[in-house]
Amino acid sequence: MVKKLSAVLLSSVLLLGLTACGGGNNGNGASGGATNGSSKEATEKPASGEKKVVKILHWKQENINKAIQEINKKFEEKYPEYKVEYTTTGPDDEFKQAQRARITAGDVDVLADLSGMRLSPKDWTPGAKVPDWQQWIDSGLIADLSDQAFVKNYNANDIAKAGTYNGKVYAVPTGKVAMSGFFYNKEIFEQNGLSVPTTWTEFIKVLDTLKDKNITPIVVAGKDVWPLKLPVFGLQAKILGGGDQNKWIEGVWKGDAAYNDAEAVEVLDKMKTLQDKYIIDGFMGIDYATAPSFFATGKVALIADGTWDAPTIATANPDLKFGYFPIPATEDAAKNNSLVGKYDVTWYAAEKGPNKEGALKWLEFFSEPDNYTAYVKAAGFLPTQDNVQTDSEFIDKELSPYLGGDFELAYEILMINRVNVGEHLAAEGVHTEYLAPGGEFKTAKELADVQQKEWEAAAPK
Amino acid sequence: MYPFGKGLKRYVPFLFLLVPLVLYIIFYFGPSMMTVIYSFTDIKNVPGSELKFVGLQNYYDVFFSGNSGERVDSIIRTLYFMVIVTIVQNGLALLVAVIINQKLKGDYFYRAVFFLPVVLGVAVVALVWSMMFDPLSGPVNYLYNALFGYKDMFFGSFTHAFGYIIFVQIWMYMGYSMLIFLAGLQSVPKDLYEAGYIDGTSKWQSFKNITFPLIAPSFTVNMLLSIIGAMSTFDIILATTDGRFNTRTMAYDVYKETFRGSLEMGLPSALSVVQFLIILVFVVIAVKQMRKREVEY
Repeated sequence: MVKKLSAVLLSSVLLLGLTACGGGNNGNGASGGATNGSSKEATEKPASGEKKVVKILHWKQENINKAIQEINKKFEEKYPEYKVEYTTTGPDDEFKQAQRARITAGDVDVLADLSGMRLSPKDWTPGAKVPDWQQWIDSGLIADLSDQAFVKNYNANDIAKAGTYNGKVYAVPTGKVAMSGFFYNKEIFEQNGLSVPTTWTEFIKVLDTLKDKNITPIVVAGKDVWPLKLPVFGLQAKILGGGDQNKWIEGVWKGDAAYNDAEAVEVLDKMKTLQDKYIIDGFMGIDYATAPSFFATGKVALIADGTWDAPTIATANPDLKFGYFPIPATEDAAKNNSLVGKYDVTWYAAEKGPNKEGALKWLEFFSEPDNYTAYVKAAGFLPTQDNVQTDSEFIDKELSPYLGGDFELAYEILMINRVNVGEHLAAEGVHTEYLAPGGEFKTAKELADVQQKEWEAAAPK
Repeated sequence: MYPFGKGLKRYVPFLFLLVPLVLYIIFYFGPSMMTVIYSFTDIKNVPGSELKFVGLQNYYDVFFSGNSGERVDSIIRTLYFMVIVTIVQNGLALLVAVIINQKLKGDYFYRAVFFLPVVLGVAVVALVWSMMFDPLSGPVNYLYNALFGYKDMFFGSFTHAFGYIIFVQIWMYMGYSMLIFLAGLQSVPKDLYEAGYIDGTSKWQSFKNITFPLIAPSFTVNMLLSIIGAMSTFDIILATTDGRFNTRTMAYDVYKETFRGSLEMGLPSALSVVQFLIILVFVVIAVKQMRKREVEY
């Protein structure tokens, strides 16, 4: 008996180590909060001559990092009492993790977010998840910027759309990117007598012509999966709700629209056509870092990518002449004629960080038109401050024609997901990778039906 | 006859024992117990948020919410992974260990080669195999094409990705099991084989009746390590497919829910308790079975 018991005990002990890993991190919240007070005191009363540290958290993106380091240097020169501690982590999930840990521990002053404010529950979304930024604001972790003069440097509409919550300004969106289109190789287009397509039929004709001449039409980084969402954003914005995807999204929650209705299936079906016939063979094995090289070397005519990648493509082949056009989602050329995008890097100031005053000072300095212009040029973003000249031929000539009206936000920014929704709808996407050659679904309708089922299964009880 | 002294002095050794015990409680037992407690609450990773006990709600959500089907799939996939990895990894390791133990020339070299992947670490191994298995320019696809005229998507295939992960996992840890077997093999007294030789045993008989019972303790250790290791694997999955293409396991789900899901920590805590219980069941069964085989001559 003793032997038996000892076996159970021994294996429990071995295993406990395992769970402890998960557990330790859960404990973070509580212990982080406790140490918060003491670390704050320590930095608030610096020894004489010691500099006050401003801690900035951001992700790695070389062109932007460099621009910010420049700004930090100038900031330290102008305000010698401050020292900037600029930390960068890997992008996306790794950054999200760092973000949570640092804000919970009160160990950050200026915090970047991956997009502007988004996914806040509405009154028609019962049971929807409250996004991180909103929980942080609700629990008093984020500084109110409404009375800061530098907020006025930014376009009021952009601040209202991406930085305002409950009538107060909490965030500064520093730029916009468009992502619902394709970069195209101008030389290949010229040599084959092609022009930028404006309707779906024209688009398919262009792709067929390329195929007939043995040129692979499109490359997408399918291995990372998310790049497949980019053309889909264009399709969704123009097709869902007859071109009003907000209406469609509200409809899905209320039961007026469905993931397997004609419009949603059309979105999936059009993307399936591209994946089956026109995107390079084996695209599910191409990762995001290598995809641009296929395009830059002229191996393929089009690449589905966001406008932020223009600097990368230009660096990969400085002689390449390329343009950008939105995916012509429908047969209505006028409707197709605009790009869909999102707000990129968005700054928050921590209310309970070690140095809130320094954070506001830094944001003020960053927002000075000169510094901002240098930043937005390096980042390749569409500026959110008015009267900023980006001097970028790509933005002025290729993107501006498609950005006439109000800036259209992408599905992933507008879609409010249900908690515990299935994997075919998770992460605010419709996951056309399941339709790819080798995917589990043979038709768009099959995937759409599963999606609608998952959506209904996740309905709040 | 008082090795620890008399009177109060007797308790001094226990005092020393207290140090590791306290450390263990603070750094292992405490956090683990907190996970169990958290699994019954709606704890959030936001300072200052209130904590409420919600009973079994989190466990209900694990098994009966919109995407529970995927979690059950993950559990089944984990068991599948565990069975294959445990059998193949230990089988191969034993075979290789026995061969190397034959006083082979350059046995140190082979030992080092087979153990190398363990030293490399998960990140490097994942990188190496991602390159080997590159669908467009990788050498393995070139080989497949040359031999069978067939091309695979490897880590980008919905049907094959998990198989390749199992392969990489075995490739990576086989050397570790091999080393433990080798240590066991070298502790088997030579005179037993001599006695067996005099009695006219065949090679297979001497393996079955002398070697195998005597290395049973190494066998137990290896089985336990690979069962626990396989069932809590998520690093190699994170580094190769990141859970895409039907490769999610229990441990990967815990990681995902904890660090990439919402700020709520109740559900991931419940998930890790479920994981703990499942592993516990298998480990206890395995230990009981293994113990039966161990002998001493």
